[in-house]
Amino acid sequence: MKRALCLLALSLGLAHAQRAPAGVLTIRFLDVGQGDAVLITSPEGKSVLYDGGRSESRMRELIRQYDVPSLDLIAASHGDADHITGLIPAAALFKPRFFLNNGVAATTQTWAKLTNILKLAGTQGLPARNQVLNLGSVRLTVLPPPAGMPAGDQNLNSVGLIVQYGSFRALLTGDSETEQTRAWLRTLPGGTLGPVDVYKSIHHGAANGDSAAWLAAVQPRNVVVSVGPNNYGHPTSTALNLYRKVGANVFRTDLQGTVTVTVQPGGAYRITTEKGTATPAAVPVKPAPTPAPVVPAAPANVTYANCAAVRAAGKSPLLRGQPGYSTKLDRDGDGRACE
Amino acid sequence: MPTEDAPDDLMLHPSFVTVDGLEGHLARVELPDGTTEDWPLASLPPGVREGDVIRLTVHGGDLEAEIDHAQTRDRLTAAQAGMDALNAGAPTGDVEL
Repeated sequence: MKRALCLLALSLGLAHAQRAPAGVLTIRFLDVGQGDAVLITSPEGKSVLYDGGRSESRMRELIRQYDVPSLDLIAASHGDADHITGLIPAAALFKPRFFLNNGVAATTQTWAKLTNILKLAGTQGLPARNQVLNLGSVRLTVLPPPAGMPAGDQNLNSVGLIVQYGSFRALLTGDSETEQTRAWLRTLPGGTLGPVDVYKSIHHGAANGDSAAWLAAVQPRNVVVSVGPNNYGHPTSTALNLYRKVGANVFRTDLQGTVTVTVQPGGAYRITTEKGTATPAAVPVKPAPTPAPVVPAAPANVTYANCAAVRAAGKSPLLRGQPGYSTKLDRDGDGRACE
Repeated sequence: MPTEDAPDDLMLHPSFVTVDGLEGHLARVELPDGTTEDWPLASLPPGVREGDVIRLTVHGGDLEAEIDHAQTRDRLTAAQAGMDALNAGAPTGDVEL
C-alpha cells in the first residue's frame, strides 16, 4: 500500500544547512518571512526555484545555508514583490537557462531589476503554457493562467506547477484567487489536480484563495503555508479551517521555519521541519488573532525624499535617531523632522 | 521659522510610489528605495489599482496623492516590451532542464 509507505517524520534540525541529497527529490518550502519561495532539487541534482520571497539578503542566506550549487530554472508565479525579490540574487548568481513567468509585466522597480538581470544573464524567458518541464527524472507540469483572467491582475494570473516523482505529487499555485481556481476547475481535465501529497497554500492562507470546491479537487494530505509577520491577517482562520475540514496536516513556515519534503524513488516521502511540529488535522485551529491597527513600518535603512513622503508613510514627526530621520527634513534643527 | 515642507521644492521634486499589490484594505507600495510598505488603501486615490504609479506632491501645505496615468502607462509599456523580448523564441513542447 503506497500510503503505508509514506513517512511523516517531524524531527528537529534535519533540514539545517544541508545540500539536497542525491538520489531523492527534495522540495524545500523556504522560510522567507511573508512571501513564497520553493526550492526543488531532483535526484540528479538539478534545481528549480519557484518564487524567491521578498528579500534579496534572505535569499542569499538561504542559498548559502542549503549550499545550492546551481539553478536550471527560476519561476515567478506572478510579479508581486514578495514572490520575485529573492529571484534577483538567484538570477545574478546562477544565470539560469530559463525564467518561467506569467507573461504579465509589473511596473515596479523590483520587476525591472529582475528582468534586467535576466537579460544580462542571457536567460530565456518561458511564458507559461501547457507544457511539461523535465527536471531530470522529476516531471513539472505547468499550469498556465486560464484564459479570460484580467490582464492587469497579477494574482489572478499566477502560474501553477505540479511536481511529480513516482507516485508522489505536489501542487504549487502562487497567489491565485477563487476566480482563477474556478476557471481551472472548469477547464482542467478531471484528475489533473489531486489528490496531492503536498500542497502549497494559496496566497499565504488568504481568505480569497482556497475554497471548499477547490480543495475537494486538490485533496491535499499536507498543506504548507508560506507566511511570516504581516498586516493582512495571513493565514486566515477561513483557510486554516478549510484545511482542517479536508483532514490535511498543516505546516507553517512562520512557526516551523523551512519545511523540507524528501521523496524516495517510487514516491514514499517524509516531511521535516526546522523547528516545532505540524498542526495535526484533528486538532481544531484557533482563529487567527485580529491584526493590530496598521502603522506602516519603516525599514531601518529607509530614506524619505521629503516630508510629503514621511506623512504619507504615517511617520510624521520623525525624531532624531528614528529610521528615515535626516537633518535635511529637520530645517529648524530641533530634532523633530516634518512636524 | 522656516517650514519643513518647502512646498516649492516638493512641487519641483514630487515623490513617486508604485502599488505592488492590494491586500484587502491595505495597499503594498514600493517606495523610491525599492522597499515596500503597507499603506491604508484609504490614503491613496479612489480607484487605485495594482501597478499604478502614485505621485505625491504638496500644494498649499496639503499633501496630494494622485495616480500618474502617463508614468504608469509608460512604465507598463516598457516593462511589457522587456518581458516580451525575454520570452521571444521560447521553446514549445516539453523542455529538458
